Amino acid sequence: MTQADILIYIAGALAVVSAAGVVMSSQPIYSALSLVGNMVSLAVLFLLLNAQFLAAVQVIVYAGAVMVLFVFIIALLSPGREDSPLRDRRALIGGAAIVYVTVQIFVLATNGTTYKKGLPTATCATIREAVPAYRLIQAGQPASCNPFPLHGNENAVPIAQANNSAAGLNGVLFFPDDVNRVGNVQVTGGQLFTTFVLPFEITSLLLLVAAVGAVYLTRRSPGRERAEQARASRRPPLPAPAGESLGPGVAASPKAPAATGEPESA
Amino acid sequence: MTIGITHLLVVSAALFCVGVFGLLSRRNAIALLMSVELMFNGVNVALVGFARFGYSNLRPLSGMAFALFVITIAAAEVAVAVALLLVAYRRHQTVQADELDELRG
Repeated sequence: MTQADILIYIAGALAVVSAAGVVMSSQPIYSALSLVGNMVSLAVLFLLLNAQFLAAVQVIVYAGAVMVLFVFIIALLSPGREDSPLRDRRALIGGAAIVYVTVQIFVLATNGTTYKKGLPTATCATIREAVPAYRLIQAGQPASCNPFPLHGNENAVPIAQANNSAAGLNGVLFFPDDVNRVGNVQVTGGQLFTTFVLPFEITSLLLLVAAVGAVYLTRRSPGRERAEQARASRRPPLPAPAGESLGPGVAASPKAPAATGEPESA
Repeated sequence: MTIGITHLLVVSAALFCVGVFGLLSRRNAIALLMSVELMFNGVNVALVGFARFGYSNLRPLSGMAFALFVITIAAAEVAVAVALLLVAYRRHQTVQADELDELRG
């Protein structure tokens, strides 16, 4: 058990514990803080799993942008505290039942699945020829071909089946050391613009639609504002609901227009 | 015990299930959104685990490209959902999911 293994255990445990904190805490802002902890521990996990680019994206996009949105909306709407689901018997039982069913589905789906590790072996040179990214590796550099440094099975290089195509891309394993030598960002980026270029473009379109939709939804159009004002004026002035203090300014609101109107007319 | 794909799948399933539990048991719409984020994160852990330990039929690191897409779509989803919450709050002065029952017959 290497140091990296221990760190992976710690990061995974932290992720699960903070996820429980998200669900169990009664104040939304504590949920948000636990979610930040969850994102950060997952970023550490990704780093340890040789996904450096993804770790950076996780911190920037999730812990940065998405969490700012959450904290912003919590501060804006200031939803009150809510009983933790631990205290709500009905929610606890119902949620636990469905989680149990989910776990059973997972077990059913993965039962009997063996993840391939021992495949036909080939030389390092064959693999580097097969995968374009590996051709970028400087010829002089010694490259380890060990696909599973964490497992410690050296020199066994599982690769494509004997009938792999001319492109040679079928069944090529991910070699962390080699990819790190090329650069994690370079390999991921190269993939985004070659293999996954269509999904990439569709995703950009989706982001555009989401941005336009968000702006449109929150926009106060003149017509809608007039309708809302009409609805508000039709509604009789609400007595302040119990437990919700609206402040002194609201209580005086029926008089306020007259008070401001008089100096103007005078 | 050295880390294998199984460990990551356990973490992934745990995160996903905690997310499902939160989605079903919380009433605050913001907390519901956060639970959905937890589920996305669980899926991401599985994808990165397969990219690291798995056997790829496409190219190395395709699991990471998938995880990137998941993150992007989660960001888009949060943006739209937050806008929807703002509109709902403007109309109903609440974001408690069980009080937003306008569609109930």
